[in-house]
Amino acid sequence: MSFHSYPHAVPHGRPPVKGHEPVLIYILRRTFASVVVLLLSSVLLFFLTTKAGDPYADLRGSNADNIEQLKAARAATMHLDLDWYERYWIWLKGVAGCFTGSCDLGTTRAGQDVLFLTGTAAGATMRLVTAATLIAIVIGVALGILTAIRQYSGFDYGVTFAAFLFFSLPVFWAAVLLKEFGAIRYNDWIATGQLGPVMIVLVAAVLAVVIPSTLGGDRRRRMITGGTTFVFVVAVLLLLNLLDWYRHPISGPFMVLLVSAGAAVLVTAIVSGIRNRTALYAALTTAVVGTIAYTVLAFTPLLADPSWLGLFGLFVVTIVVSLLIGRIWGGYNRKQVMLITGVTGVVTSLVVVADILMGYWASFLGLKSRPISTIGAQTPNFTGDFWQRLIDYGTQLILPTVLLALVSIATHSRFTRSSMLEVLNQDYVRTARAKGLSEREVIVKHAFRNSLIPITTIVAFDFATLIGGAVITETVFGWKGMGQLFQEGLVNVDPPPVMAFFLVTGTAAIVMNLIADLAYASLDPRIRR
Amino acid sequence: MTTLDISTSGAAHTTGDAVLSFEGLTVSFRTEFGEVHAVKGVDLDVRPGEVVALVGESGSGKSVTSTTALGLLPGNARVSGTVTVGGKAVGSLDNAGLRRLRGNDVAMVFQEPMTALNPVLTIGDQLTEGLQLHGIAYGKQAEARAAELLRMVGIPEPERRLKQYPHELSGGQRQRVVIAMAISCDPTVIIADEPTTALDVTVQAEILDLLRSLTQKLDTAILLITHNMGVVADMADRVAVMLKGDLVETGTVDQVLNHPKHEYTKRLLAAVPHLGEGPGQFGEVAQPAPPVPGEAAALDLKNLVIEYHRIGRPPFRAVDDVSFHVDPGEIVGLVGESGSGKSTIAKCALGLIPARSGSVSILGHDFGTTRGKRLKELRRRIGVVFQDPAASLNPRFPIGDLIAEPLVVHKVGDARSRREKVMELLDAVELPREVFNRYPHELSGGQRQRVSIARALTLEPELLVADEPTSALDVSVQASVLKVFTSLQERYRFACLFVSHDLAVIDLLAHRVVVMQNGEIVEQGPRDSVLRAPREDYTKRLLAAAPVPEPGEQRRRREARHALLTSLGEESAELHL
Amino acid sequence: MSDTQQNSSGWGPGASDVEELVPEAKSYSANQLVVRRFFRHRGAIVAMITLAAVIVVAFTSIGVGPIPGWWNKDIATAYDKVGDGSPTWAHPFGQNTIGKDYFALTMRGTQVSLYIAFGVGLVSTLIGTLVGAIAGYFRGILDSLLMRLTDVVIIIPLLAIAAVLGRMTGGDVNLLVLALGVLTWTSLARLVRGEVLSLRERDFVMAARAVGTHPVRIIVRHILPNTVGVVIVSATLTIAAAILLETALSFLGFGVQTPDVSLGSLISEYKNAFTTRPWLFWWPGLMILAIALSVNFIGDGLRDAFDPRQTSTKE
Repeated sequence: MSFHSYPHAVPHGRPPVKGHEPVLIYILRRTFASVVVLLLSSVLLFFLTTKAGDPYADLRGSNADNIEQLKAARAATMHLDLDWYERYWIWLKGVAGCFTGSCDLGTTRAGQDVLFLTGTAAGATMRLVTAATLIAIVIGVALGILTAIRQYSGFDYGVTFAAFLFFSLPVFWAAVLLKEFGAIRYNDWIATGQLGPVMIVLVAAVLAVVIPSTLGGDRRRRMITGGTTFVFVVAVLLLLNLLDWYRHPISGPFMVLLVSAGAAVLVTAIVSGIRNRTALYAALTTAVVGTIAYTVLAFTPLLADPSWLGLFGLFVVTIVVSLLIGRIWGGYNRKQVMLITGVTGVVTSLVVVADILMGYWASFLGLKSRPISTIGAQTPNFTGDFWQRLIDYGTQLILPTVLLALVSIATHSRFTRSSMLEVLNQDYVRTARAKGLSEREVIVKHAFRNSLIPITTIVAFDFATLIGGAVITETVFGWKGMGQLFQEGLVNVDPPPVMAFFLVTGTAAIVMNLIADLAYASLDPRIRR
Repeated sequence: MTTLDISTSGAAHTTGDAVLSFEGLTVSFRTEFGEVHAVKGVDLDVRPGEVVALVGESGSGKSVTSTTALGLLPGNARVSGTVTVGGKAVGSLDNAGLRRLRGNDVAMVFQEPMTALNPVLTIGDQLTEGLQLHGIAYGKQAEARAAELLRMVGIPEPERRLKQYPHELSGGQRQRVVIAMAISCDPTVIIADEPTTALDVTVQAEILDLLRSLTQKLDTAILLITHNMGVVADMADRVAVMLKGDLVETGTVDQVLNHPKHEYTKRLLAAVPHLGEGPGQFGEVAQPAPPVPGEAAALDLKNLVIEYHRIGRPPFRAVDDVSFHVDPGEIVGLVGESGSGKSTIAKCALGLIPARSGSVSILGHDFGTTRGKRLKELRRRIGVVFQDPAASLNPRFPIGDLIAEPLVVHKVGDARSRREKVMELLDAVELPREVFNRYPHELSGGQRQRVSIARALTLEPELLVADEPTSALDVSVQASVLKVFTSLQERYRFACLFVSHDLAVIDLLAHRVVVMQNGEIVEQGPRDSVLRAPREDYTKRLLAAAPVPEPGEQRRRREARHALLTSLGEESAELHL
Repeated sequence: MSDTQQNSSGWGPGASDVEELVPEAKSYSANQLVVRRFFRHRGAIVAMITLAAVIVVAFTSIGVGPIPGWWNKDIATAYDKVGDGSPTWAHPFGQNTIGKDYFALTMRGTQVSLYIAFGVGLVSTLIGTLVGAIAGYFRGILDSLLMRLTDVVIIIPLLAIAAVLGRMTGGDVNLLVLALGVLTWTSLARLVRGEVLSLRERDFVMAARAVGTHPVRIIVRHILPNTVGVVIVSATLTIAAAILLETALSFLGFGVQTPDVSLGSLISEYKNAFTTRPWLFWWPGLMILAIALSVNFIGDGLRDAFDPRQTSTKE
């Protein structure tokens, strides 16, 4: 449902600020304008909602004795005897109370407090939308850059086609397929957890085509990479079958060390080039220190029976330590090394969390043999410790997030691609090449940041679209979120829940725009003072 | 590297072998129109400390030739022949070898300083990058070296500049940064692709001085790509002339500029307007009739102030208290550098932007107070020609409709008489009648500008406003357009406000000259007094900076300019070692 | 859109260099160039053929209104069920739960969905172009007002306000087209405004103004023809998005209502039939996918054709 974020839009790269207005004033002015717009929109939506149908529709067909009494009661709770603008005024006064500490978003037709309903619903929706946004940004931007660099490769055509496919999918139709294959068939399969030979060959074949295509090189080199990939993947998948890995994933410090060291090498290779030994050693140090810390902490309650606050604290400590490592290794390009160790630190901590979760996976399967259910944001009456509950949240979040993120991934990848191609045509990229920079340096240092500038705006735009799309996704997956609140309100011609939905989405849109403006300002020195 | 050879003689000190040589270079591109041959067999050598100018008009393949030296052509290019830089054949290098070559052996200075620098990286980042890449200096040392480089190219407060972003620098300063970047790794040869085309004439003179001192103090060779014969005369030791991918003539600057052999070179040189030679170079313009008492001026500006609104900041005053007038039949040249407000005045005289205060009178009617039908009638009597012929013609109209448009707007005549009028005008601007049904993009730049002129004259206006009408054209095209212009002025006797940054063009056209700077008038008067005996320092400086296409004369002018700068208490630009 | 033949810098094989070298004989008008480039986009050509086939089959098979088509079954009759209703020669798309011919139903749904999509595309393009052109050309207060108006519409999630209006229409297809058209013009208005803002500073518009051309003539004759690329591409994508929007509304129960059907209402009705009668689920879904995908690819082809900056010669 991406109406505002066209797949083919070409970024214009116009700074939002003309002249040199201080950023703070600019942002305040924009926010004020947004609030005014929000107010006007609320009038429009309130009016339309009250006129959207007959609030007594369900009672008209009824032949209960006390029908008049029921009507009168409803008129009283919903203020149906008042004009729409009087009802709007009542609603607005209630909302205004939020700024003085006595929030009142009205009641539903059934008399429930909308503020309370919103509180629980908004949490679920925001979790869904935030997860989808993050995934979409990371995957979409990465795909966009890869496709721009490998323009007209098989990989580029493949991603382009996939993007158009995602744009053209009716969301709930795709949801049915996703439930079937992502949940029902997966649950059937995990019961045994053995990949069939056809599946193994298929996966290996796909990777054997995709990986050489992204790496590039001449035909011979691609053939060799493809062949190697195929053999390697088949071997690994067979080994995993043998180990019953999908039900009992091997975990532990050794795997963490292996994966995070790999990440360290990759991050270094991308940011500074593998030949920068200082950076490489700094990144590897970070991975090693992270693994050691994990090995030690695994036996303390800090990780064995954690709390959200404790985990967050650990995360902060990880980043600080990583940056310190970067600073100590330093070298002439200290900032870059710190960036590398910082990113490596973040990746390492994610690897650690993944490792812990993998450790709990077998016991989770014991608690819930069909891990992915198609309904609800969490399994009702689920009992388990912190990590098991986290797995439960995660497995329930996966499918709706994927569904919601598909369109955004497509949008971001297309947009990033065209933005990147535009930047790669700029004069300063030619200057950079003329200096003798390698293609990696040209892209990472000169092109990437410039290509991100127009993307900030599209991300903000897309966030609002995602919240709209969440209405469908939540309904399909039976989440009790804002979408359901909205839909029931609309069916009942009952403005307060509809307006609560709007209040949340509108505020989120304004906040996102604000973040986008700030990101814009931090990326583009031309609009900073 | 510090061979301090202070001799300013144009004769090349050709020591040693060529540092850059092209042998039998041909380049072709695969495009959607099929194979396009951009360069067809070029042989050229550039020796240390030598400036070789590669001259040609757009499409001659001069930029493509130079780009091959860095191996930076896009993927659809096919290159044959050999290009050697510092003894290395570019074609035989792998990617890593090419990268070592770039910056280290051969560096580039580009045309557009506004876009040649990365807007999101600091000047310091962009300067140290090359130093670290080629292993010249790291970290703090690299920063110190970068500051040193900025100081060398004459940027004040280099340490502070390192932390700034490109948009915080002026165009001339940015071009200096680009030059600093080019010399940072001490390359043997620098390719300067139209390095001053985007710059004002005074800034151009400074940048050329700087480049010249590079060859003298660092013994760097320069391959200078340009279309400007004045720049060639000022800079080059040797000249190579390109035409449609072929090298038609090479020789020393004196041979080529003063004794051209090839027909094309002769034509090219004949087309260059020469500052100081006055009117008559491309046909005479009519002298205005002596003013009739009581007759209104064609254009009369009184105390004109124009401001642009800016969100969140005080308005920008583009034109401040400007008064001058254009008599009937008179051509007034409005001269100034970018940002002087000259184009703003032209737009205001056309009623396209409002005046903040003061008055604009056209043929005795105040533009500010005339409304409705009267205003439309008034507009009938003004014609306009803009700078960029590609932008000033609606791409969706055929030529016939474009020229007839003013007739349609003012409901003059019927379809047949309009057609006749258009044909007559096509003859007048020396365009074949066949272009009637063609679209603008099918015409060349010069042809398009003739269409613009024809359109401007459709209603036989009494006042023509021409905003840089020849600045976007190649020099030979400019000459033919100027010829058409003078003959038309002779015929129709319109008054004209002729806006230009090119003093040579003004010199051959204008009866009177108005010089502007930063929105204010510096000096105005008859052509001969302003251009021959300027009173104001700014005008003197402007005149001194404009190069002429004769090497001997240009050398004298350059020395005179340095003397002028010294007398004004300024230094001329050079490399500070 | 109009200056696509030019290249800003004089460097390298910039179009300006190459252009001058192109032999005179091979000269194309702007429109011919667009057509040439479009026909080089293979995906777009396949998409054109697919879409044309879908349209022809949908409208000729069961006919339109009183005009009969070549398919011998209609959407109203419940036929005898053949087996469990899965596809047979007599009912190539199968039958629904009460025996209606599913091919006829799907074709009817396709007709309605296409009508909605193209109708919304038309309405939204008209409004968007008009608002964008007026705001961009006149600027000032009018511009501010119109742009705040688009902001007011944009800040409400499209699906939400579409659902509200959809509920108001009560399932009337024409009203639905109008309602969706009234909601989806905002992004085009912004695009057109941006184009107009830059076009009005172009010299040819300046020249027209200097001659005293009336603003309406300037907008209609000089500016709008030069925004045609943006408008056409955007209109195409609006069509694709409108089909999906209608589908989503049907799913929420605010779209086309029985007895009429659209592709959206069909899948919405049979969304739980996946395991029992998969054909009821697959056909309308694949139909939507085919239409939306075709339109998107055509849009991409048009984008490339009108704005060839990023589709330079393939390596």
